[in-house]
This record gives sequence, C-alpha cells and structure tokens, in this order.
Amino acid sequence: MLTATRVQAPSSLQWVSLFTAALLVFPTAYIVYVAMTAAPAVWTRLWSTRIPELLGNTLSLAVGVALTTLILGVSLAWITVRYDFPGRRIWEWALALPLAMPTYVLAYVYAHLMGMGGPAEQWWQLLFGPEARLPSPQSFAGVTMIMVLDTFPFVYLLVRSALQNLNVSFEEVARACGVSPWATLRRVTLPLIRPAIAAGLALVILYVISDFGAVSLLRYQTLTYAVYQQMTSRYDHAAASILSLLLVVMAIIFLMTERWFRQRSRFYQTSGRYRRSTRQHAGPLGTALITSYVVLVFGAAFGIPVAMLIQWSVEAISQGALDTRFLGFIWNSSFLAALAACGAVIIGLPLAYLASRRPSRLNIACLQAAYAGYALPGPVAALAVLVLFTHFAPALYGTVVVLVIAYILHFLPVGLQSMEPALQQVTPNVEEVARTLGCTTHQSLWRVTLPLVRNGFVVAWVLMFLQTMKELPATLLLRPVGFDTLAIRVWLESSEEYYQLAAPAALLIVLLSLPALMLLVSKDWRGDPQEGIK
Amino acid sequence: MSLANESVTSGHHTTSGGMIPNALDSAAERSAVLELRDISCAYEPTRPAIEGITFTVHQGEILCLLGPSGCGKTTILRAIAGFERVTAGSIALSGQLVSSRDTMLPTEQRHIGMVFQEYALFPHLRVEKNIAFGLRHLSRTEQQAIVDDLLMLTGLRGLEHRYPHELSGGQQQRVALARALALRPVLLLLDEPFSNLDPDMASRMRQDLHALLRQTKTTAILVTHDHDEAFSMADRVAVLNKGRLEQFDTPEAIYHLPTTPFVADFVGQADFITGVVTHHLVTTEIGDFPNTQHLATGTHVVVMIRPDDIHIVPTKGAEARILARQFKGSENVYTIQLPSGQIVHSSESSLSIYQVGTAITLRVVATHTVLFPQPPGSPPVVVA
Repeated sequence: MLTATRVQAPSSLQWVSLFTAALLVFPTAYIVYVAMTAAPAVWTRLWSTRIPELLGNTLSLAVGVALTTLILGVSLAWITVRYDFPGRRIWEWALALPLAMPTYVLAYVYAHLMGMGGPAEQWWQLLFGPEARLPSPQSFAGVTMIMVLDTFPFVYLLVRSALQNLNVSFEEVARACGVSPWATLRRVTLPLIRPAIAAGLALVILYVISDFGAVSLLRYQTLTYAVYQQMTSRYDHAAASILSLLLVVMAIIFLMTERWFRQRSRFYQTSGRYRRSTRQHAGPLGTALITSYVVLVFGAAFGIPVAMLIQWSVEAISQGALDTRFLGFIWNSSFLAALAACGAVIIGLPLAYLASRRPSRLNIACLQAAYAGYALPGPVAALAVLVLFTHFAPALYGTVVVLVIAYILHFLPVGLQSMEPALQQVTPNVEEVARTLGCTTHQSLWRVTLPLVRNGFVVAWVLMFLQTMKELPATLLLRPVGFDTLAIRVWLESSEEYYQLAAPAALLIVLLSLPALMLLVSKDWRGDPQEGIK
Repeated sequence: MSLANESVTSGHHTTSGGMIPNALDSAAERSAVLELRDISCAYEPTRPAIEGITFTVHQGEILCLLGPSGCGKTTILRAIAGFERVTAGSIALSGQLVSSRDTMLPTEQRHIGMVFQEYALFPHLRVEKNIAFGLRHLSRTEQQAIVDDLLMLTGLRGLEHRYPHELSGGQQQRVALARALALRPVLLLLDEPFSNLDPDMASRMRQDLHALLRQTKTTAILVTHDHDEAFSMADRVAVLNKGRLEQFDTPEAIYHLPTTPFVADFVGQADFITGVVTHHLVTTEIGDFPNTQHLATGTHVVVMIRPDDIHIVPTKGAEARILARQFKGSENVYTIQLPSGQIVHSSESSLSIYQVGTAITLRVVATHTVLFPQPPGSPPVVVA
C-alpha cells in the first residue's frame, strides 16, 4: 500500500507544497517583521494616541454585537427547533439569508433609513414629536445594530444544529430523575449547547473585528479602518503593520477559541442512535408572538434592505444605470474572481492532497499554513501583499497580479474547507481496488479519483469565486487605477450618498451571494457538528 | 408409516400447567406496582402504535417486554415513563392514576428510574454528578452517602471523577443504572440496556444486573428483542407483535406453551407440522399427539415441535432423510425432510454426527403438545 502511494505522489510534489506554504506564510511573517522593526517612536506615538481608542472601539463593538447576537441567535434557534408554527420551514431558511448581505450593503441601506431626515426618523417624529431623535447609524448603537443584523445567523445556525443533534434522552432522563422542565433547560440543555454558542460567538467576534465595509462607510474608528487610513492617507506602512499585528493577534485568539469549543462539542454528541426532540405546537397566541418576532428580525436584517435595494435599482435602471460601464464592472468582478478561484484551487491542491494522503507532520504544517489567511482581515491581507511587492517586485505593483495574490491568500481557507474532505474520501484502497479490476494508474485517476473529488472541488471554486466577487478592502487598496468592480462601485457611490446609483450593483452582489450561502448552509443543515460555516 | 410409531408415549404428555412454574400464584399476594388497563398510543390517529395493552407488575418483579423492532415495546415503556400520551385506557403507578386520555402526570412526579439504550449520561458532568443529578433536594452529606453506596453496589468505585467519554460501554451502563437507582424509584425502566455492548460483556452485565435488581428488591421492566435475554432476566415476559400483546406469562410457559404461532416462532426455533384430529388424538406425519384442546374430529391443525423434542435414529430403509447439518458448537442442528416434503429440525448433541442423506426415523419426545388451528390456504395434511 505504501509503495503504491509513493509511486503516485512523487516527492517533487512535496517541494511544490513546501514552496506554496512558504509563499502563503511569507506576507504575514513580513508584516510581523515590519511591525517589530518599526522605529520605537512609531510604537510610542501609536500607543499614546491611537491604539487605546481603537482597541476600545473594536472590543466594545465586538462585545456589544456578541451579546446581542447571543440573545437573537439562541432564541431563534430554540423557536425553530422546538416549536411548530405555520411557515416554520420557510423561516428556518430565511433566517440564514442575512449572511448573504455584505456589511457594506447593509450599512449603506441603514445609513439612509436611519440617517438624519431618513424614513425611520420621519416615522419616529410622527409618533414622538418633532424633537425626537433616533440613535444615528454612525453611533455605537447604530453600528452595533447593523453588525448584529449581519452576524446573528452564525450563532443561530450553530446553535440550531447543536439543538437538532441534541439527544432528547438527556432531557428525558433528567425528567425521570425528578427534575422540572425549567431546571432541565438550565442544568442539562443549556450546558450541552454551550460549546456551540461559544463557537458561534467566537465567529461573530472574528467577523466584527475583521469587518471593513460597515465601519468604513459609517466612519466608525476600529482597527481595520485605521489600517486602511494609515495606508491611504498617511502612506505609513510601519504604523499600519503595527495595527495589523494587533488585529492578527486578536483574530488568532478568537480562531483558537472557536476551534477549541468546536472540538469540545464533539464530546457532547451521542454516537450512534439517538432520538430527536418532538416539536411543540405553538397555539394561536404563541404563533402570533413567534411570527411577529421572526418577521421583525428577518425584515430588519434582510426583507427591508432588499426591498429598498429593489426600489432604488428600479429607479436607477429607469435612469439608464445599466449601461456598458455597468457591464464592465460585472466583467471586472467576474474576471478577477474566476482568476482567483482557479489560482486558489491549483495552489490548494498539492497542500490538501499531501495532508490527506500522507499526513506527516510536515505536510499537515504546510496545510495549516494555508489556513493563515483566516487570521488576516481584508485590509491586512492587502497590506501584506502590498508591502511585499513594493519591496521585492515594484514593477508588479498596481497590476491585477497583486490583487489576485491577495485574494488567494485571503480566501484559500474557504476553498480548502471543501477540498480537504473531498480528498479524504479517496482512500488508497479505493484506487487500489480499481487497479485490481484492471485499471491503469491513469485510468483509475480518471474513473475513480476525479469523480470522487469533483464535487468538493467545484464547491470550493464556487465559494471562492463568490467570496471574491464581493470582496471590498483588498480590492480598494490594490486595484489598478480605474479598475472598478461591483463592490467598489457600491462603496464609492454610497460613500457619496448616491443611494440609487449604488443599488443595482449591491442587489447583484446579494443575489450572487445566495448560492454560496446555500452551499454553506446545506452543509450545516445536515447537522454534522464537525463542519460548519466559515 | 412406521417411522413415527414411537412418538406417542402418553406419560410424557401433560396439559398446560403441571411442570411449569406459575408466577401468577406467588405474585398475587404482593402489591401491584404498575397496572396497565387497555392502553393504546398512536403517533398517527389512524394507526395506533400499541393497542389494548393490559398487564400488571407486582412488587419486586422483573418483567421483560419482548418483540421484534417496531412492535411497540419501547412505546409502552415511554407511555409508562410519561413521555407518550395514551389515547385510551389508563396507567396506574402504586395505585395512583398517572396516565389516561385526560390525565398526564409529568414524568418528574412519577418516581420512576430510566436507563436509556444509549445511556444518555450527561457529557458535561462527572460520574458522581451524573449519579447525584436527581438528588438536589438532599444535603451534600446525604447525597454523598447515596452516591458512595451506589458506586460500591455497581462496582464503580474509583471512577467517580471521570467524564462519561472516559468510560467503557459497560461502565457507562452501570453509571446510568446507578443514576436511575439513586432516587429509589418505585419502578425501573430499561430500554434495550445491553444492545450497545459486545456479546461477552452483555452476558456478564445481565447476570450483574439481575443480582443487583434482586438485591435492591427493585421492580423493573426491561425492553428487549432478544428472547435469551428475556428468559434469563425475567420473572415474566410480555411478548408483543404489531402493537398487540400476544402472550403474558412466565419464560417457561412462553417457551413451552406458546399461545400463538408468532410467539412459538419468535422465542426459539419451531417447526409446524400439519395434522388432523381423529377422536382423542391429533394425527401427523411424525406421529400422534393428544388432542389437548378437545377439538372436533376432522379439524385441521398444526402441531408445534421444537428441535430439542425430535431425535434422530439412523434406520436403513427409512424414508426421512437428513438434508443438512449445522454445527453450532454446543449442538448439531439437523434439517430433515419427511417423505411428504415437510421440513423439520432436530437438535442433537455436539458429538452426534450423521452424514447428509442418511435415512432416519424420528423419535419425538414432546413434553407439551401445542396445537394451533390451521391457517387457510396451507398445504393439505398428510396423514400417516
């Protein structure tokens, strides 16, 4: 068996994978290097002026969003798993849809809705008099609310899957031990879904601290926004690297937290046969309460924003917004995304293949290196690639190449998550049995290996393509002059408050995000605790 | 035909009762812990999962609910525990009505213990906390005393600080048992408790559990699909099929005097030989049997024969033939074709080996004659 594998995987592959892994780690390492070797004066200036405020803003936003998503996510998961009410099946899916809404789209819709003189404020003043004010979308409360509406599905989906996988015997045995239903919830059910809640919250926090779209549009000072500002207005790469280092450290902490809790939750699943809980029928009053709650959350997070986008798009299109320029933006976006997705699949293949087929320490370390992109928020990935190229290959700066490399660095982990399990399905035995049935190595590759991994790779490609389509910060920082994508147009138009003009591109991005969301959610829907959303 | 002449030796035949111990007599003096009266449960209104189940369990008794998967045995257990509503009939625990169409006492007020098939140990709690889970109303020292007793009783001393995933299957099962016994339940319910253990372990755990239940004088109901398990554990067995109670009796009576062909077939290998009633006898191809049910002459019946009741005598020129031999270690099971084509089985000692094709006569020594009316459409009776 070992000889067979050796013949199929020559050691040159090992070199390729080592080289790729080194390339993937290099930008991050270089940022750390730039930050550590920055003049002490830069450090002291940042510590005494920007860092306390930025850290405070970033962390308070993360905590505020986490606490609110905790309540929203857990309550919605509980309702949809434990109760039966009209339209439940539709709402289960609908509540995951906000994940298809990039934060900059939601932020720009709410900047209009909740802004000074916007529809929400007019309605509010109608009720409470002309002096009544709503919290501004640029305030802490406003940014928190927008981020909550965008991220609560992380908690909702993970807790939902944990509740569905929860063996109802745990609760029944507690009742048989003479414990009341409320005490059972407190002493058994909640402790059992705690790892899922913690993993969900860690994802939310990771998402919040790496977000650039919403905070930049709302001009809320967080670390990511500050990195962008240092790069664009001050061209201070050393300062930007120091702030990035802080971000990367925070990201790694929450990534580890999430991993740890997900590992732990495996102990909490029963192996083999288990009984699911039965749904309780919500009476007429319960149905009314549940439906209004779900409608409120869904409406705020997806329904109303999409309705606004449609209305604005219709207005914009009637004014001739769908011109050749618009088609050009679509082409630019698709071209970049396709390039990045193909590149990432090619680069990821040797890493994933070696790690699954010959899981030596070295090969697994190489694969882990590729996951480093997870700890790189968009602006940081851009900074890393930018600093590297200006030092070592200035000729390429300002070309599509730099941008595509940043995309690959940033999104390769998303693809690897689908490629890895696909390759793991192909055990050497499957190929060997093909050989015993008279196939040559070449034939068994075509007839057995490729059909087995095909779906996983297609999914990986599609996910990376769609993620790249809506990428904002790296594109903003690295694109060739005048090379605009859909995401850039949305950001630029809405920064200038041309809401109608931004709408068609924003709507298209939301629509394009739906298939990726379906792929991710259906994976989660099967209730496999090991695989979740990323 | 000559081959069956030896079969009827009237001294060996007894009618129902006799050698078979009757638990009903001794149980009648003890108080009833559980009474099911004509209960039905339905997941879908038109298709009841169980229907018209009636039985009583007395203090200290071990009852097995036995049947194939999907027969409704677990539904009965869950109805007793209060996890399923009954659509008709009533359940009383220690004389108190707990379930009926309009009554549903919550599980936590029923004072029952339950051991689930997959044990359902709380994965976030250590062994001792699992066992003490229902003891919150007691002081710490009282809790500790009970937990210590149970650890001793179940042989889990030294494992109290482990988490469930650090235990073997057998240890997990004993923790589940200890947890269920901690509150001294009036009735212990066990849902296929041995199905997740490997066979060696299961048989040891069976003996341990039986001893433990006797020692603690616990009344218990055990669900199983394995008749060996039911026979070795139970004082009485309830055999279920398609949601109905087929027979409720001692293990010995269930085996030797099954009241339906289903029971006869489910609790062990059985052959059904067609026969016809002539006067006081039932005449079959392998001999005559007493007409225990006083059926009218000419009635077509089937006689149940177990392989241990049939013995092989190799006889030159006899018309029955050995078709196959299956070696099972402690016995040889022979498949025999009678001249009419009917197939019967015989269990011989491990060392009695005959070639396939050997001509034989049969010696039938049936302790009990079990007759069933012949179902319509079965092949015509061949009478010797």
